[in-house]
Amino acid sequence: MLALRRHEKIAVEALYDMYSSSLYGVISRIIVDTAVAEDVLQETFVKIWHSFASYSTEKGRLFTWMVNIARNLAIDKLRSKDFKNQNKNQELEINVTFIDEQRNTVYKPELLGIKDLVQTLKADQKEILELVYFKGYTHVEAADELGIPLGTIKTRLRMAIQQLRKHFN
Amino acid sequence: MEDIKAYIESGILELYVLGDVTSSEKLHVEEMASQHPAIKAELDEIERSMELFAAANAVEPPAQLRDRVLNSLLTNFGDDNNFPTKHPQPVKENVIAMPAPKANGFYKYAFAACFALLIASVVALFSVYNKLQNANTQLIALNSTNQKFSSTVNFMDHQLSVYRDTSFKVIKLKGTAHLPNGLMLVAFSPAKKKVIIDMADLKMPANDKEHQYQLWAIVGKTPVSLGVFDKDAADNSLMKEMKSVPVAQAFAVTLEPRGGSINPTMDQMMVIGNL
Repeated sequence: MLALRRHEKIAVEALYDMYSSSLYGVISRIIVDTAVAEDVLQETFVKIWHSFASYSTEKGRLFTWMVNIARNLAIDKLRSKDFKNQNKNQELEINVTFIDEQRNTVYKPELLGIKDLVQTLKADQKEILELVYFKGYTHVEAADELGIPLGTIKTRLRMAIQQLRKHFN
Repeated sequence: MEDIKAYIESGILELYVLGDVTSSEKLHVEEMASQHPAIKAELDEIERSMELFAAANAVEPPAQLRDRVLNSLLTNFGDDNNFPTKHPQPVKENVIAMPAPKANGFYKYAFAACFALLIASVVALFSVYNKLQNANTQLIALNSTNQKFSSTVNFMDHQLSVYRDTSFKVIKLKGTAHLPNGLMLVAFSPAKKKVIIDMADLKMPANDKEHQYQLWAIVGKTPVSLGVFDKDAADNSLMKEMKSVPVAQAFAVTLEPRGGSINPTMDQMMVIGNL
């Protein structure tokens, strides 16, 4: 941590080795285009690097802070005008991708466990997690999208995460 | 405790972890977490779950991306390290001494060259001026010589015309007892009233400085002065025109004091001749 604060080379290498795959997993779930996803991962690390001073351990885990940076950058990219235009014709494909949530597990043997994980979640829990976590919806937007009350959204999100906690424990 | 439990179950902590809270909600959650260890523990659990969830969804990025990302960060090392450390950069010596201008030498030599040229010019000017003076002097001399020649030529023409002119009579004046060998030729033209004496063949002794020869015309019985002349070895003129007289029976020459006399000194008569 200290090494990171001092911007040491070894620190950023360690940081990358520890977290790049988790962050890239999230980013590539949001952005299908691998070239763009790679760009976003790079931007994420640059931003982490430059704004590291604003992170404090008291506010939470390092990964939470980092993954939120990655998600925000990825969602910004997804919503940015040029990217939207670029992907207009790919919209269907993206939807298909989102429907096939296990797409990555099919190709990545190391992620075989995800199938079990996803199966532990109920369909509505998966749905809300998908919208908020991977599509960048706020819970308010998700409530609109799904046509359900805000409180229900919050409860479902909480249940989904509770389910994950149970699974990992 | 009930409040805390309700707070936990409200779902706000999950939204907080997902970053889906307003800044005031965020501050509130952080405050609650710092006050209530249960909330802090709950947050930690949620975060850990999401981290594990992400790890479970992890996708290994392409290997070459590692170098790309690290390089893009490392290229910024210099900037990032310099930014917080406020060691003042040693001020670069931007002022570079200009090479000593070599034009000075050039001007010195140019000045010397100009000065030398000036002196040479003055010398040349003097030489040319002297030559010009010489040339002018020579030109004047030549001119005077030329004039002399032209006047001589004119005079000779004049003298020649005397010989050609048939109206002139040449009278031989022969020496008297004073000068037995004396001889003088006088050309006389009554029509033109001119009397010219021949100096070249004048056979008379040279006169001294106190005396001059005087030519007389005898008109009737009266001698008339026709002017004085010198017998001078240096004088190489051929003829001399004397005062005019219309008629004369005889011509005579006497030796008189310089300037001539009104009446001839008869005992000093040198030559005489009748028409």
